Amino acid sequence: MKIVSVCACTVGIAHTYIAQEKLETAARNAGHEIAVETQGTIGTENQLTDEQIQNADIAILATDVKISGEDRFSNLRIIKVPTEVAVKSPNKLIKKAEEVLG
Amino acid sequence: MEYIRKLDLKKHLLTAISYMIPVVCGAGFLIAFGMAFGGDAGVDLTQPGFSFWDALAVMGGLALGLLPMIISTGIAYSIADKPGIAPGLIIGLTANAISAGFIGGIIGGYIAGYLVISIIKYLKVPPWAKGLMPTLIIPFVAALVGGLIMVYIVGTPIAILTQMLTGFLDGMGTSSLLVFGIVVGALSGIDYGGPINKTVFAFVLAMQAEGVNGPITTLQLVNTATPIGFGLAFFVGKMLNKRIYTKTEVETLKAAVPMGFVNIVEGIIPIVMNDIIKCIIATAIGGAAGGAVSMALQANATVPFGGVLMIPTMEHPMAGVLSIVVNVLVTAVVLAILKKDVSQRKEAELEEEDINLDYIQVM
Repeated sequence: MKIVSVCACTVGIAHTYIAQEKLETAARNAGHEIAVETQGTIGTENQLTDEQIQNADIAILATDVKISGEDRFSNLRIIKVPTEVAVKSPNKLIKKAEEVLG
Repeated sequence: MEYIRKLDLKKHLLTAISYMIPVVCGAGFLIAFGMAFGGDAGVDLTQPGFSFWDALAVMGGLALGLLPMIISTGIAYSIADKPGIAPGLIIGLTANAISAGFIGGIIGGYIAGYLVISIIKYLKVPPWAKGLMPTLIIPFVAALVGGLIMVYIVGTPIAILTQMLTGFLDGMGTSSLLVFGIVVGALSGIDYGGPINKTVFAFVLAMQAEGVNGPITTLQLVNTATPIGFGLAFFVGKMLNKRIYTKTEVETLKAAVPMGFVNIVEGIIPIVMNDIIKCIIATAIGGAAGGAVSMALQANATVPFGGVLMIPTMEHPMAGVLSIVVNVLVTAVVLAILKKDVSQRKEAELEEEDINLDYIQVM
């Protein structure tokens, strides 16, 4: 399963990046590919390429705030959760993504 | 209920808060620095004779005064995207005009945002006027309708509410101040800059705008003292013959403790995540202790941010110092006692909580 993701928490300096790490680890442990873009207070980092989005199967948006470019994912199934969920239960989140795709 | 959840009201508020935080930090620091060195935030910069510190204090103070506008713009943008910015700005300034403060900014932001979406959805204009929609029609109509709602409908209830609140807080005796301090301190200590902290922050910032400085002082002092307490815990642990932190955690602390001095608590989050319950217990107790001291002795900083820089701006600076010291000591001691030596720490894969289906949206 190819996953693209955006993480954006409120303060934008801690949970955003913790969520990124946790999602990356959880996805890889489950044998999936993942690319995580972060939109912290410093700005967008690791921006997803058009190619990555086109080839993806599902998008996981772990966001507390409005993100820029949400329309990029309009052709994908999307799972939206608060950042906290990605931080606390990343493995269950990846499982949920697997379920959604059937 | 489903409809309300779909509206995602919380996201709009959090988005606005995320834009507001750098402003509060940047401007708060300016005014804290300025006032720490004797600057006066009320000086007129167009007249000669002001000091460098006066300039800093004024810059910071003016920006802080515009926070309701920043919040309303953030909320409106989150709801309505770009077309929401102008109405958000205008209605936010209206909130200032009716002295509705923070709460007015929040209400104004939602009004502006939803007005803009409604206008876009329901107002049909002939083709020649299409270009005028985002440039003139939306800002004008949204600001007009929203502004009038603010002035004639929202204004008075808010003024009454704020008066009640201020009166209530002013009238609190020392023992109630103590309890209040304990509650605010404990709440601030629980989630390290997370959503609870942010909500309490919005609330106490609004109070400061009304001249009630106690609560926000408490919150920020807790955020200041917590990382320092974690640092001190290392040494207290040593005294108890325990190494309570791993090598990585010690490295993290080296950055987190200085950040604490300047009011940034998020640096210790990685450490907390490794031992959540014990850390929360230590910070909540430390925070409650520090909070009780700062409220009861009325430290009352006049700036909303700054860590140790808030001390010179305080009504009772020694109370502020004492509050930090007490908080640091209590947090450090409790944490050092609770934590086990690292050799005994299991790399426990904590059983993940099930995802609360309320919070997940699948599209």
